[in-house]
Amino acid sequence: MEIVVCVKPVPEAETRLRPDAAGTALDPEGVKYVLAGYDESAVEQALLLRESIPGSRVHVVACGPAPRTEEVLRAALALGCDVATWVDVPAASADEPLSAARALASAISPHSPDLVLCGKQAGDNEAGVVPAALGELLGVPDLSYVLDVRWNAGASRFSLKRASEAGLESWTVPAPCVLGLQQAWNDPRTAKLPAILKSRKAPIARVTPPSAAADPASSPRRFELPPPRTGAKMIEYKTADEAATRLVRALREEAKVLP
Amino acid sequence: MTRTALVVGELSQGRLAGATHEAIGAAAIVSGSPAGVSVLLAGRSARTAAGELARSGVARVVVVEDPRFDAGPPAVLAVQAAATAARIGVGVVVVGGTTFGREIAGRVAARWDGAVATGVTEVAPEGESVRVRRPVFGGRATETRVLGGPRVVLAIRPHAFPTPASDGPTPPIEVVPAADLPAPLLGPIRTGVESAAAGAGPGLSDAAIVVSGGRGLRGPENFHLVEELAASLGAAVGASRAVTDAGWRPGSLQVGQTGKAVSPQLYIAVGISGAIQHLVGMVSSRVIVAINSDASAPIFRVADYGVVGDLFEIVPALTAEIRRVRAT
Ligand SMILES: Cc1cc2nc3c(=O)[nH]c(=O)nc-3n(C[C@H](O)[C@H](O)[C@H](O)COP(=O)(O)OP(=O)(O)OC[C@H]3O[C@@H](n4cnc5c(N)ncnc54)[C@H](O)[C@@H]3O)c2cc1C
Ligand SMILES: Nc1ncnc2c1ncn2[C@@H]1O[C@H](COP(=O)(O)O)[C@@H](O)[C@H]1O
Repeated sequence: MEIVVCVKPVPEAETRLRPDAAGTALDPEGVKYVLAGYDESAVEQALLLRESIPGSRVHVVACGPAPRTEEVLRAALALGCDVATWVDVPAASADEPLSAARALASAISPHSPDLVLCGKQAGDNEAGVVPAALGELLGVPDLSYVLDVRWNAGASRFSLKRASEAGLESWTVPAPCVLGLQQAWNDPRTAKLPAILKSRKAPIARVTPPSAAADPASSPRRFELPPPRTGAKMIEYKTADEAATRLVRALREEAKVLP
Repeated sequence: MTRTALVVGELSQGRLAGATHEAIGAAAIVSGSPAGVSVLLAGRSARTAAGELARSGVARVVVVEDPRFDAGPPAVLAVQAAATAARIGVGVVVVGGTTFGREIAGRVAARWDGAVATGVTEVAPEGESVRVRRPVFGGRATETRVLGGPRVVLAIRPHAFPTPASDGPTPPIEVVPAADLPAPLLGPIRTGVESAAAGAGPGLSDAAIVVSGGRGLRGPENFHLVEELAASLGAAVGASRAVTDAGWRPGSLQVGQTGKAVSPQLYIAVGISGAIQHLVGMVSSRVIVAINSDASAPIFRVADYGVVGDLFEIVPALTAEIRRVRAT
């Protein structure tokens, strides 16, 4: 089975966010880009499926500029992915989910994968658009908010769970399809040193999508940090009952978040 | 220039989801008034649910009574939405901020060739374009984007838009057959739902109020304090990773970097220190309350209201006070 897993380079969680000089986007200066969040779950899921389906291969694909994109592909190779493709586009295209989806689709479709795994949303712009857009562009069904994917060879279908407002849904989905992964509760594996060293020298295929495919459909105007919260208003009290009365009064009359 | 809009309605157990009313509110802002908004409802109960839009003042309700929309994955409705948008010639498609809405947005955008933004908290027409604001990086920053071109798809963020008043005319109902639904999209089959434990209240991601508990509770046997407070408020229950890692509560309740991101109207953190990995999942909540015995806990730096004290005394008193206020 050919399993493609899409990973996006995103700033590591501890990054101190700062707008760039134009004030339109995150200043990438000094930011460390990593394979993170839901994409880690997607990679973990891909590797688990490979272990359970003989003759499978995990192909990791990332779309974005150098050097960050190459770095996350090497991180995915170090975790055990078999081959890597770098879809070379400018940051503005990689950060606009529809253009990222078009660029990814152009790179993925020649491989006719049986399964495309994504994170349910990217850790930076949190769009949650790419999995469904990829489904449409590849002409296959998609489901997102997915966990715990298993392959049922007899039925030629994946069976999986999906977390929605209704609760934990069970689905079966035929291959080929695109799935957006929710956080896996089994901790994703970490890379071992020899694998990290090996991944540094692994070949990475570079492709450039047709330029129209990567044209962003929207443009960023402003990137702002919220005003710092002025610090909590501390509730003064002598007894717990008094604390409760004062807090509830503040929430009803001042903050107006309770009826 | 204002654009006409199509809201893709979501039905939950035969009724219109709250998210759909909010989507109509957002669409009315882009279109200038509800009269520029059409609503698509698909599924067996679509016609009945259309009755809930009496006096909503929207232009029309397009009803597709076809069971494939109840059984099928969200992608099927996305196809219908793109077809309906093209047929009636709208410039904007708006969906609610649920998992369902978000899932539809990407496929509608790719199929209908529209620019797309999700998690939108503010929207305004701007010349020939649509300008949106949306939180990014777990609410640690906000971006403003301009979506150009003739077609725009928006998924709004829960609780960001008011539901419109119902004092307008009752819209006509147009019953139409389903669009051509591509066979592969009908392949996925839902085989069951384990509903969120009976009486467990709203789901974390879209609850208006979330009460979360942390290691300060000392053990699973005390977590009921958080659950009772949540129940008194009709709130969803969340937890820090310390709690889910220790197995006191399931991982699905975890709020934070490696759990769920929430942005309710009110977030109450009980016995949670406020590690950065927890904060990224909840800082975009509108009002944050922290209850912690340590006055220097970092949670107080992002909180709007703080109570320094022993949660084992404060939380039961708070639950009792809320029950009392609710009863009067
Ligand atoms: C890669 C990574 C990802 C992570 N992802 C997440 C995540 O998604 N979500 C998350 O929550 N964490 C996450 N963490 C863990 C995070 O760093 C913290 O360890 C965790 O949030 C701490 O949980 P806590 O606040 O419940 O516990 P603690 O930090 O132990 O805090 C307990 C608090 O309870 C207070 N307390 C104790 N007794 C009482 C009392 N009687 N009354 C009132 N207050 C009391 C204490 O003063 C203290 O502030 C992650 C960590 C890493 C490294
Ligand atoms: N530039 C990109 N390169 C590779 N994968 C991406 C890219 N952007 C998004 N994805 C994938 O799509 C998922 C959802 O992203 P998004 O729709 O942008 O929130 C991510 O978790 C990735 O799996």
